[in-house]
Amino acid sequence: MRSMKNLWPLLALLLWLPATADESNAAEAFLEEAFHGKVPEPAMVWLSGERKQAVARILGHNYPALRIRYWRSDQRSAWILEETGKEQPITIGVIVNDGTLERIKVLAFRESRGGEIRYPFFTDQFKGIGIDDRQELNRHIDGISGATLSVTAMKKVAALALYLDSITGKQDVQTAP
Amino acid sequence: MSRQHHRKQRFKLRSFYVWHRYMGVAAALFTLVIAFTGILLNHTETFRFRDSHVQSTWILDWYGIEAPDQLLSFPVGDRHITLMGDDLYLDRKEIGDDYHDLTGALQLGDMLVVSVNNNILLLTPRGEMIERLKRNDGVPAGIEQIGIDAGGKLAVRTRHEIYRPDKDFIRWQRLDNKGSDIRWATPVPLEPRLKKLLQNHFRGEVLPVERVLLDLHSGRFFGKAGPWLFDIAAALLILLSLTGTWIWLKRRR
Repeated sequence: MRSMKNLWPLLALLLWLPATADESNAAEAFLEEAFHGKVPEPAMVWLSGERKQAVARILGHNYPALRIRYWRSDQRSAWILEETGKEQPITIGVIVNDGTLERIKVLAFRESRGGEIRYPFFTDQFKGIGIDDRQELNRHIDGISGATLSVTAMKKVAALALYLDSITGKQDVQTAP
Repeated sequence: MSRQHHRKQRFKLRSFYVWHRYMGVAAALFTLVIAFTGILLNHTETFRFRDSHVQSTWILDWYGIEAPDQLLSFPVGDRHITLMGDDLYLDRKEIGDDYHDLTGALQLGDMLVVSVNNNILLLTPRGEMIERLKRNDGVPAGIEQIGIDAGGKLAVRTRHEIYRPDKDFIRWQRLDNKGSDIRWATPVPLEPRLKKLLQNHFRGEVLPVERVLLDLHSGRFFGKAGPWLFDIAAALLILLSLTGTWIWLKRRR
């Protein structure tokens, strides 16, 4: 039993390492696919003043950082964002093309329920969606019973990516305001 | 009916009444605790008892809640980044989320850099998160130390290599030299006053008020004998209602 006790930290590490590596790989693969193998250098958008307020309005809470990375090539931008469903953050990749959402994909799902949001039957609804003047999605998204919080998280992330794309497309925001 | 029979009946009634009174007094305190905590528990959401935490030292001591005695602290300028349990602090300010494996912290210009959870946290001097850099942001795996070189640039050391990010922390480059000019961040003992403050803060975030109310309501707050005492109080309440009804019926006759 004593030897088994000593093995637990090693076992935990072995379980943890592939999980973090998978998350990292999923993000890399998402970007590679989004930009057909030519991933541009990341840029940064700072959240302060009006932007911070707008982001807080979209999410219903402050974003937990002052700047967000993104990747842009011409009219297309890619965002890797996190939002909590019920208790755990869900990592979501979003591609925005010319102001509308081209693709949304769950890159890491850590909640015990609500994983249905990963599948195309749900994510396909977001294709071509945009935001209105109030930074809300301009089209209805059908929910999934039993996955309400995860669905809400994905809708928030979609609206956030579209908003951030709209402000980064207009001006240079790579430096802190 | 004889006079003697009447006397017997009155004596019996008075005896019941006395018992009823004693049982009432004995159950009164428990009844008050159960009723009061019951009312409060019905309004947990309104009063946010689930999110509020007990700060009272004696209650925390009663529950045996202790803050970790061992903590890891790195100086950043004239302040400290400290990991206690899974809480990370800039002096007394808690930086949200759960953390583990603090491997270094330092001041880089007007920014604080913290290496924790194998992530690099970039913080403002006020402790606001600028950005949390992870593996998919290019952060090297297995960071063991962070430091500043002679040119004032950040360096991170993994088991075999030393890396340096560009000014925006976008690209990480491996250094060829051994990093002899790098001043690595090293932990320091925290001054006792700050340590005590952090320990109090840590303890004050553990026990939800709702837990204490539930334990008071069930009697578990009073230890192993508590639920039995409350069971006895409940039995007394049942007896009270029966004897009360009986006395009332007898008096009506």
